[in-house]
Order: sequence, then structure tokens, then C-alpha cells
Amino acid sequence: MELTDADLVARVLANDDQHAFGELVRRHQSSVRGLLRQLTRTDIALADDLAQEAFLRAYKKLASFRGEARFSTWLYRIAYNCFREDARKRKELVGVDEEQLQAERDPQTVDAGLRHDLMHALSLLPLNERTAVVLCCQNGFSHDEAARVLEIPLGTVKTNVLRGREKLKRTLAAWGPN
Amino acid sequence: MTDDETLDRQLREAMPYIDDEGFTARVMASLPAARREPRWLRAMILLGLGILGSGVAYLISGGGRFIREGMIQLSDFPIWLLLVFAFGCGLVVGAFAVIAAVRKTPEVRDVARLRF
Repeated sequence: MELTDADLVARVLANDDQHAFGELVRRHQSSVRGLLRQLTRTDIALADDLAQEAFLRAYKKLASFRGEARFSTWLYRIAYNCFREDARKRKELVGVDEEQLQAERDPQTVDAGLRHDLMHALSLLPLNERTAVVLCCQNGFSHDEAARVLEIPLGTVKTNVLRGREKLKRTLAAWGPN
Repeated sequence: MTDDETLDRQLREAMPYIDDEGFTARVMASLPAARREPRWLRAMILLGLGILGSGVAYLISGGGRFIREGMIQLSDFPIWLLLVFAFGCGLVVGAFAVIAAVRKTPEVRDVARLRF
């Protein structure tokens, strides 16, 4: 029988079992790195550095995980905080790079295929909407869980998801019926 | 126009699984070293210190004279009062044990939070 995340966390806390923590990293590395790649606009190196920092922080703060939410929710919150701190340093939260955005809007640079179009359209969304859509629509988090991860009101999450979805639909509709 | 469900499904399908490619190994290498001493050793150290402290207290108090005197005083009390005292002590200890169990066990805590 496969151990649950809670079982693995308990093993790490009780015996400082690093193998158990390794299993947690293996389970969640793809989704955490995927989230951070979306947030950093596919800057893979930066996203992986932030993901590594997030897992390291999670290990150090594991005793503060009380099991009130899913482990993944708690982990995403740490990952998002890592991104926010880094973005603050890089002044990314002040505003998006309009020049980069314009280049991304150029139809000639748009990759063919629904997957690429979707990911591209997603990367064009403002950070707050992109994050909400990635958490709720792509990773299946409830609005409540996303609000916990992002530390923003539930209503704001709902609004961001709604706006993000509408923008994605409009963008995809303009690109053709895929 | 795409509906919400279709859009969500397409988004999920568009998100590729990211192969580990040494990521977990890099994270594990960056973790601080695990505690060296096993848990049983820490328990033994605590137990040893507890016994040592009790021994010192026994010697300092004149061979446990205060315990003998306390027992003599208790024996003068009526039996019903001793029973009430013992029952009260049990209640207090039990209450602390339940609180500690609820605080430490997420499942119990979640049940306690349920609203019917």
C-alpha cells in the first residue's frame, strides 16, 4: 500500500527520515516546478532554483505543517512565497514587461498546436489571474485552497479565475477552433 | 466558445509532466544533515537525567522524609476525601491527555471541527 503524504510527513518528523522526504519531493516536483515555470514565464532555470528553495524551506518548516490543509496546498504556498520574494527582488511584481508582452502577442511567434497556444495564452495573463488559473483550473485546487496558497480573499480568487478563464477563451477563440 | 470544463481539461492536458532529471537528488543534497542520535538514545538520556534528579532530590530532602510525613498526613484523612482527591486528579490528568491528543492528531481535530 502506498503511503499517503501525511504518513511520509509523520515519518520525517518522527525519525528525521530523509528518504520519506525524498519521496515527497519526487511526488510533487513536477507540479511545483510546473507552477513556478508558469509564474516565471517559463524561465526554467529560475523556476527550478525556486522549486529547490521551496522544498528546502518545506523541509526546515515541516514541523509547522499541522495537516489542516493538504500537503500540496501547504507546499504550493511556500513555493508561491519563494516566487513572490524573488519577484520582489526583481521588481517583477511592479508591472509586466510591455515590450516582452508585445513580442509574445506577435502572431508569428505563436507556436502551432493547442497545447502551445494554451500555454502561451496562459503566459500572457496578468500574474494574479495566471496564478489563480494555474492553481484552480490546471492543478484542481478549490477556490478556498487557492486563497490559502495565495493568502488573498476567496472572492478575489474567484474573480481572478473568472477573468483569466474569459481571457483565455477569447484568446483561443481568436486563434481558431482548437 | 469553449466551456469552463473543456478549458480546464485542456489546460490540464497541456501541462506536461516534468521529468525529475536529478531534481530530487539536488534537493536531497541541499538538505541539512539528519540528526545523528537515534530517538531511543534521547529517551534514555532523558530517563537517566530524571532518575539522577530524583536521586539527588531524595538525598537532599533527608532520605525522603517529606514523603513519609506526607503519607502519614494523608492517612489521617477520611477515606471518602482521599477517593474524591484521587478522582479529581484523574479527571485533570485525563483532560490534559485529551487536549494533547486532539492537538496532535489531525483526524481527531477535523472531527472536532465538523458542524452538524
